[in-house]
Amino acid sequence: MTNTMAQPFSWKRTALEWLATDAPVLTYMAKATFAGLLALVISMTLNLPDPRTAIFTTFLVMQPQSGLVFSKSYYRVLGTIAGVGVSLLMMGLFAQDPVWFIAFFALWIGLCTGAGLKFRNFQSYGFVLAGYTLCIVALPVIETPLEIFSIAVSRFSEVIIGIMSATLVSDMVFPRKLFDSLLASERERFANLFAILGEGDALFAAGTETEPGSAGFSGVVGLHAVRINSSFESGTDRKARQLSGQLNQEYMHLSTTFHSLKNILAAAGERMPIEVRESLAGLYAPVASVVNASPRTPVSVEELDGIIAGVLEAKQMLQTLVEEEQRRLAPYLEADAYEAFSSASGLIVRLLGELHIHCVTYRAFLRHRLSGRASRELSRVVRFSTHTDSVLVALAALRGSGVLLVTMLFWIVTGWPYATLTVTLAVVLGLLIGTLPSPLAAVMNFFKGGVSAVAVAAVYDFYIIPEYTSDMLTLALVLAPVLAVVAWWTTQPRWSGFALGFIFLFMYQCSLDPYYRVDPTVFLESTLAYLIGIGFAGLAYLLVNFWSCSLTQQRVAKILRRQIVTLCSGTITVQRSALESTGRDMVQQFSTQGRLNLRSSRLVYAWLLSTLEIGRAVIAVRRGRKRLPLSAASDSVDGAIYAIRNYFATPSEQMRRMLLATLKEAVAVLHAQGASAGASELKRIKKAAAELALIRTIMLSEGSLPVVMEDTCR
Amino acid sequence: MPLEITLLGIQMPTLLPIFAAAAVLQILVDRILSDAGVYKHVWHPGLFRTAVFVCLFTLPCLLIYT
Repeated sequence: MTNTMAQPFSWKRTALEWLATDAPVLTYMAKATFAGLLALVISMTLNLPDPRTAIFTTFLVMQPQSGLVFSKSYYRVLGTIAGVGVSLLMMGLFAQDPVWFIAFFALWIGLCTGAGLKFRNFQSYGFVLAGYTLCIVALPVIETPLEIFSIAVSRFSEVIIGIMSATLVSDMVFPRKLFDSLLASERERFANLFAILGEGDALFAAGTETEPGSAGFSGVVGLHAVRINSSFESGTDRKARQLSGQLNQEYMHLSTTFHSLKNILAAAGERMPIEVRESLAGLYAPVASVVNASPRTPVSVEELDGIIAGVLEAKQMLQTLVEEEQRRLAPYLEADAYEAFSSASGLIVRLLGELHIHCVTYRAFLRHRLSGRASRELSRVVRFSTHTDSVLVALAALRGSGVLLVTMLFWIVTGWPYATLTVTLAVVLGLLIGTLPSPLAAVMNFFKGGVSAVAVAAVYDFYIIPEYTSDMLTLALVLAPVLAVVAWWTTQPRWSGFALGFIFLFMYQCSLDPYYRVDPTVFLESTLAYLIGIGFAGLAYLLVNFWSCSLTQQRVAKILRRQIVTLCSGTITVQRSALESTGRDMVQQFSTQGRLNLRSSRLVYAWLLSTLEIGRAVIAVRRGRKRLPLSAASDSVDGAIYAIRNYFATPSEQMRRMLLATLKEAVAVLHAQGASAGASELKRIKKAAAELALIRTIMLSEGSLPVVMEDTCR
Repeated sequence: MPLEITLLGIQMPTLLPIFAAAAVLQILVDRILSDAGVYKHVWHPGLFRTAVFVCLFTLPCLLIYT
């Protein structure tokens, strides 16, 4: 009885599950195969010399969502134009002078490899392409320079045909929009945020530690990329993208404030008297109750209106609560404990304020998305700043140029005609794989994919193509299964390196010329040349990629400290959002490139948060300082900023103690000055004192400061 | 218009520069249409975009082949 009742339901469920998980993969396979074959047929019809480039391009730019395809294609076109242009220029200038030719070649490859690491997303891909297009266009015609023009035009045409096929198919046949997934991720992030904020008990439990990646730490950089790429799709207007960028920025602020609060509570730990902890938990209660009373995934504007009203009410309640608690606790708390209390309570107030702003922006985003009407709320253009370490870029450039010079030397020494293929593949891999998290493993997978591809290509070249194909239709039919399998591999992250190697070698070894021509000697020699090229690339990654965990920690600590020093002494044009996005972007990059283990990435994340908090406080104090009249108060603020700068420029335990004393004194002077100040001045002085006290509270826990104390890499 | 033109001393099919110009124009038109909210009222935005591009590309091409 139960079985018969359950069966129809489970069938439906299975079908739905299949539709949600397997159907998109199958659609993608069909789309990629169709796009590849379309490119092949068009380039063969137009009689282009190398149709494989078109089909290869299709596979390189093909992605499940159309926004990604457009973005990648756009940068691929730009990269190809730059690469072809530089090839023409270099052949024109140095065709007769090998030394200068190789020197400029190495310089260009080095520049492109460095830029590939410096820029993000598909911009990086554009630079990669600008680099290796030079190999593909200039190297084959190095002995016959006049042919460069025809090869440049045909290469460009083939790439364009590949790109057109990919973009057409992905936007017209069952298109999947990136912007829809952006909306889904925003929804998920909002729910996560509420879940985290609602757990007040966990926040005040002793021994809580900062987890890297919690509260969507990495999501900030990732969602930024999705937003950028979705701008290439139809149907996403500027307003929606602006609101999404603003949401991202506000989320960063919220996440920093929440984690600072968590860190202060965890660090103050045993030092904090139990009554302070209880009082803070009481202050947090309105936040937790308004969050827990709200729906986690608000779907309508009305629901958000309700949440916003609740948050506003809690905000007013919190203001009076904080003042009451301050009056109650002030008489009998020690200075340190009172400071910790006021810093933490200040953070709770700020958290609620930021939550209010975030909810208002989210409401504008939803309203815009649901009704399509332009909302009345103002939206700002938010810049997401990035930071890349110059040492990482220089190392990458060195590796790129090095690979080229070594393989060129191999070509000159051996005099082997096929060595140009070795040079090409080594340079392509040196550029293409450099931005991935573990390049050496990726080269290994590429090698495996390449070897398997050669075996399959041999079967196609010597048996299937001469036996079964007579025209374009039959050629397309016999190629379809291989292309479909490769498309499937590209959807599986663990197969991606293998798939890249497979498609590369398969395309270059399979006879896809306008007329069938296969020579076993050429086949074997070129295979060998390609495999040696992969070997050179692998060797380069093995030798130059010595970036270790402890070195990463030292670099991150140094950069973070330098940021605070600049904030203390430079002009204060930096916005908090720029500080946050560069910091997060930098740590994200170091954690992919720098082989951090769990313990050290947790440490680096704690450093980042304390730097962001101190940096924000320094900006606030220095901005407020301008409006303070010249007096003992402004002198003490200047002294404190100077001491902070000195400590972070050359940190030592002695300096830290001195800084703590200076900060304590400055706060005391400010409080004393406040007693005799007018109402508006008192407010400014109080604000400055609160920010300095917050810096002091953070400075008390030495573990969270960006200073390498012990080796956490083991 | 001729079938092939010489640009900066390089001979290439006339279709190629026309294609590049049409692509740039398409990006501009697309931005304007998307900010104006036209795509919200279109049944298949991808198809519509392709159709706009085909129009932009083929109109000057007719000059070559007629």
